[in-house]
Amino acid sequence: MISPGRWPGNYRSAFIVTVEFDADLRIRALIPDAAERTKSLSVGQYGATRGVTRLLGTLERSHIRATWFIPSENLERQQLHCAAIVRAGHDLGNMGVALEDLSRLDLSEQLHLIDTAQAAFRRGTGRAPIAFRSARGSYAPGLPAALVARGFAWSSSWRGDDLPHFHAGVARSLVELPIHYELDDYGYFVFNLDPPIPAGSARIASTREVLGNWKTEFAAYRDEGLCFVLTLHPELIAAPGRIAMLREFFDYIRSFDDVWVATGGEVASWWTKTAPPNLPGHPVEVFDRVRDGELERHRSTGA
Amino acid sequence: MALAFDLDGPTGDAMLSGAIWNRPEYFTLGGYGPWRGLDRILRLLESHGIRATFFTPAWVVENWPDACRRLVAAGHEIAHHGYRHEKFWDLSLDRQRDVIELSQDIFQRELGTRAVGFRTPSGDWRVQTPALLVELGFEYSSSLRGDDRPYFHADALAGWEPLVEIPARSEMDDYASLAFTTDPNWPSGGDRIASYDLTLDNWRREFDGYHDEGLCLTTIFHPKVVGTPGRVALLDRLITHMKAPGDVWFATCQSVSSWWRTNQGVTTGESTS
Repeated sequence: MISPGRWPGNYRSAFIVTVEFDADLRIRALIPDAAERTKSLSVGQYGATRGVTRLLGTLERSHIRATWFIPSENLERQQLHCAAIVRAGHDLGNMGVALEDLSRLDLSEQLHLIDTAQAAFRRGTGRAPIAFRSARGSYAPGLPAALVARGFAWSSSWRGDDLPHFHAGVARSLVELPIHYELDDYGYFVFNLDPPIPAGSARIASTREVLGNWKTEFAAYRDEGLCFVLTLHPELIAAPGRIAMLREFFDYIRSFDDVWVATGGEVASWWTKTAPPNLPGHPVEVFDRVRDGELERHRSTGA
Repeated sequence: MALAFDLDGPTGDAMLSGAIWNRPEYFTLGGYGPWRGLDRILRLLESHGIRATFFTPAWVVENWPDACRRLVAAGHEIAHHGYRHEKFWDLSLDRQRDVIELSQDIFQRELGTRAVGFRTPSGDWRVQTPALLVELGFEYSSSLRGDDRPYFHADALAGWEPLVEIPARSEMDDYASLAFTTDPNWPSGGDRIASYDLTLDNWRREFDGYHDEGLCLTTIFHPKVVGTPGRVALLDRLITHMKAPGDVWFATCQSVSSWWRTNQGVTTGESTS
């Protein structure tokens, strides 16, 4: 079932950790009058106060290098933390400036954000990331091609696969490392009492059961030779109790010697060198093929 | 046991409104079903020697014809589920007819078959819909929730050909436990993805109850939801559990419907029994 040579050497499957360092920007983005809500802001600020350091320690303990998507506003406001992230050997990724909703922006506005953030990375770290993730919202048509033109090697915002894949058409050299809600701590753990996040004040998920979900998925990803992309938020996963769950999860992954624990950049580079083009049934190819016709039909019939 | 999957892919409200054409990541989330989930589920069913029913919007057949042909070639049933997952509640009877006829033409052209089974997308239909289904040649529906065994639509007793209903229940709908998106939020209140282990425990308990009482269980499983690697591993454990008693009839909805027609007779079944 697993294609020989899909992964380097004797590796059977791949495992990637991505981190989104939101601090209080998520609260500011979701709650319009957050600026003076000291308690709600502190829910996110915990990610900087305690989360980053604790998560860095856990990654180091398991010898995992991650990609940290850092909004450039945090790059500037959290310089000590960002320096520690770089010093520990992690990759950095571009996620805009302050968790903007891309769906409200056209292509040129999206690119302005991305360029602004790249400039901040160059100033702050001496180099510009080659990875991009949408903090919220959708890529405008043409964004993947524009990312290629700006030197980005990979993107990680779409959800149509459990292996890396290429983007369609002229953006085909851009690798996508697809993400999944069930492999992201956010949907399980985000919580603010008032104003309520989630909107329906959903109960926080069971830490033990989230570990169970992740282990079940990971075992099957490994069995099938797939690419598991975990997404973490220091604001959420680095609470003292939850970080123990993460340690247990990393220990489980490290108990297999045939899992390629790699950075997104390493996997994207490998995929570029070794993988065949997307098949015609890939969701990104279907989307690329039918979008214009469907929009035209929608405009002409209103249905 | 009539395992059934709704192979919606990216069809549904966002496609009906056109919004999905500016939401590539949301399109790919739906596309994961026919692109990855389906084949994983087909492999699982083959390993267990079980045939299932796939209620499939015809738009998915048009855009993933090879995957749907594999499904049919493996002996599974493909059945009607709208063209783009239209909510029949929102459609006039004429539009319902148009959607069904368009979809049957696509099934015929791409797959060489027509649907005899119908599951209304997202639930509600119009009271006249069952008569329309009979007129258009459907043998059964699996759209309602109000029983735990097949029955004949009561109106069908009043002179129509019988239409069997194979009710499906929300306890066996993977949306109720596992589906999750933000923007649009699903669940609407932002509730969490449930524990896989506890979800499997719920499903097993429901099966056990149906088995004890000799009933007919079907599912509302979605390849884009339940077709992830880990969740198909859960399905594997569920099927293993269901096969253990050794006296469970695993069949497509069409086979259940045929058996019910032949052996129950229209006068012995009532929707309220």
